Amino acid sequence: MPGVVRRLPEHLTIWVPLLLSAAHLVSFSLWTIWISFTPSTLVPVSGWVGLRNYTAVMATRNWKIAFDNLLLFGSAFVLLSLVAGLVLAILLDQRIRGENALRSIFLYPLAVSFVVTGTVWSWLLNPGLGIQKLVQDLGWTSFRFDWLVDRDMAIWTIVIAAIWQSSGFAMALFLAGLRSVDADLVKAAQIDGAGPIRMYRRVILPTLWPITITVIVIQLQFAISTFDLVRALTNGGPGLATQLPALVVYDLMFQRGLLGRGAAAAVLMLLILLAVLLPYAAWRYLQRRRASHA
Amino acid sequence: MPITTTRRRLLAGSAAALALPAFARAQGAVKPRLTAISQWSAGSDGAAITALGKKFEEKGGIWQHSPVPGFTTEMMNKLRAQIIAGDPPACSQLKGPEIAAWSKIAPTVNLDALVAAAGYEKVVAPDLAKLHKPGGKWIALPLQIYSTNMLFLSKRALDKAKADKTPVTWADFNDLAEKMKAGGVTYPIANGGTRPDDGQKFEASFAGISPAAYRAAIMNLDKNALEGPEIRAAFAQTRKIADWMDPNVGAQPFATNLKRFVDGDMGIMIQGGWAQGVLRNAGFKFDDFIIVPGPSDNSKPVFLLNADAFIFWQRSEPDLQAGQTLMAQLVMDPAIQTMYSQITGSIPVRTDVDLSGEGWSDGQRRTAGALKDAVANNQAVLSLAHNMAQENGLTAAMIDVLTEYVKNKTIKPEQAVTRLAEAVEGAR
Repeated sequence: MPGVVRRLPEHLTIWVPLLLSAAHLVSFSLWTIWISFTPSTLVPVSGWVGLRNYTAVMATRNWKIAFDNLLLFGSAFVLLSLVAGLVLAILLDQRIRGENALRSIFLYPLAVSFVVTGTVWSWLLNPGLGIQKLVQDLGWTSFRFDWLVDRDMAIWTIVIAAIWQSSGFAMALFLAGLRSVDADLVKAAQIDGAGPIRMYRRVILPTLWPITITVIVIQLQFAISTFDLVRALTNGGPGLATQLPALVVYDLMFQRGLLGRGAAAAVLMLLILLAVLLPYAAWRYLQRRRASHA
Repeated sequence: MPITTTRRRLLAGSAAALALPAFARAQGAVKPRLTAISQWSAGSDGAAITALGKKFEEKGGIWQHSPVPGFTTEMMNKLRAQIIAGDPPACSQLKGPEIAAWSKIAPTVNLDALVAAAGYEKVVAPDLAKLHKPGGKWIALPLQIYSTNMLFLSKRALDKAKADKTPVTWADFNDLAEKMKAGGVTYPIANGGTRPDDGQKFEASFAGISPAAYRAAIMNLDKNALEGPEIRAAFAQTRKIADWMDPNVGAQPFATNLKRFVDGDMGIMIQGGWAQGVLRNAGFKFDDFIIVPGPSDNSKPVFLLNADAFIFWQRSEPDLQAGQTLMAQLVMDPAIQTMYSQITGSIPVRTDVDLSGEGWSDGQRRTAGALKDAVANNQAVLSLAHNMAQENGLTAAMIDVLTEYVKNKTIKPEQAVTRLAEAVEGAR
């Protein structure tokens, strides 16, 4: 008992904010789930419409396009930012001069708001103003880079901007992983005559698995909830070509005044997120069990 | 500044309510105060509402306007939050069928007595009046009118095309655009890439081809009209317009291209009169462009009506009630409407305002003339792209189809007709 009293400040600092934010999260999620089953339009109302909001949302072109885009954007973004982060981390790991400065530069985009990133890239990628015009003005007049206004390629502009923004984050995690590799392992491999490529492939990278999984999960949940970046960069256009689920939710709730359907779309997003997080939790659980058995 | 209903204020309010008849209360037992929200924060719109606020203050009122910049829907989010919190503004911007929809979620002020005292009903176009009195009672007041299908013709582009007259029908329009292209105008159509922009191209085409079919299909959602030959022709005309636009605009607003338009690098804008306010505010002169009514295949003007309005929310505070009375009187005042429209480029709601005097542009005079003719010929219809024809949910579902059609040249007009009909069905 005296121990608990002595450690009361610690408990208070940890548990009070934690419980508060958990209560917020849970109560608002439950509230949204409830709204998704009501006929709410401009303001929340009670009532029960079953799954009607869900079927209505899933039948719209907007949602179908948004879902397909999410699959493409999610996998391309996660994979490419992983590769970019890993390559940057390995290059930085070569005990080079000015590492701190470089690390700050690569991490810097993370400190920029997505709205700023989106706006800047929307000018850079605009064919009439940005990169395409620059290259054409330099003399290569047939150069084309008009993905921003090309329906089929526009989603890739979001991938580009998102990678620019967050590969620094992956790099930081990987770099920490690379630095924590046991020096004895590396020495042993060197004594056995392994070259640098072989050493990374066989010795160092395999130890990075847990970090890789963490990066994937964090980036995926970012991808699923992407909103501000798309809104600033393409606003879902050209046409509906770059719709994403979060845009659909916002659009239904706040532009069209259909709270019930917006809530249904939000719950669908939550389900997608769970589809990512539950396997991760299961994997963590299995790993821990294996570790305690060993 | 949030309004807190303190017990003392409540007591004072009820005492005043008991002690004085409503008329006397409104007449200045208290200093009128108005809390208002609108989307008008900058440019000519911001200047106009600031000028209105000055007039309000000159009459002894306290003006508390909180602008919410961005699209109208952004303003609506604040309005919704305030209504749910039980603290609506005394007055807010709202327009079209949304007036009826929102009046169901919070009590509004019955303005019938004030409207009658001002003799306002006689001078407002009947279709417009109907939108502001859902359930037969005036609860909102229109402030200014735009037509969303006015043609803004760049003088320099007209010179390049060697055109000597302005287009009347769509055939004339297409002819002019071809001439501009041949004369060296890079993009005959000056446009933005926003959703309302795309919607305007379609509604101008459709209403210009047949206002009767437009009314049936878009305003009344008549199934036959939604799949009729006129709407197919409208999509075909929209495609022509889209082909003359600069594909590089992305999601930029139309105002980004004003300089290219004035320079004659772009030729024609299909815009509402607000573009005049924006052009003037950007420092361009009336000599740089001509404004004429949108193309109409039967040669009589077609007016795509877009009107901004204020709705009045019920408040119990005597000072706010007095403020609402003063505001309503100001909004209906011809001098105030004149001042407002001369800043924004719109035309007054009152049909009895004389536009021949100084301060009005030829474009505004033509717009007002077009409205008169269009009302006489039953060719004044409500704009879809600017949320006048349908509630937001349905409008957005239809604009989805239109914006995709404008941006995706592989969609055929027939397919677009089917998609639009399906979108209407799905959103109802």
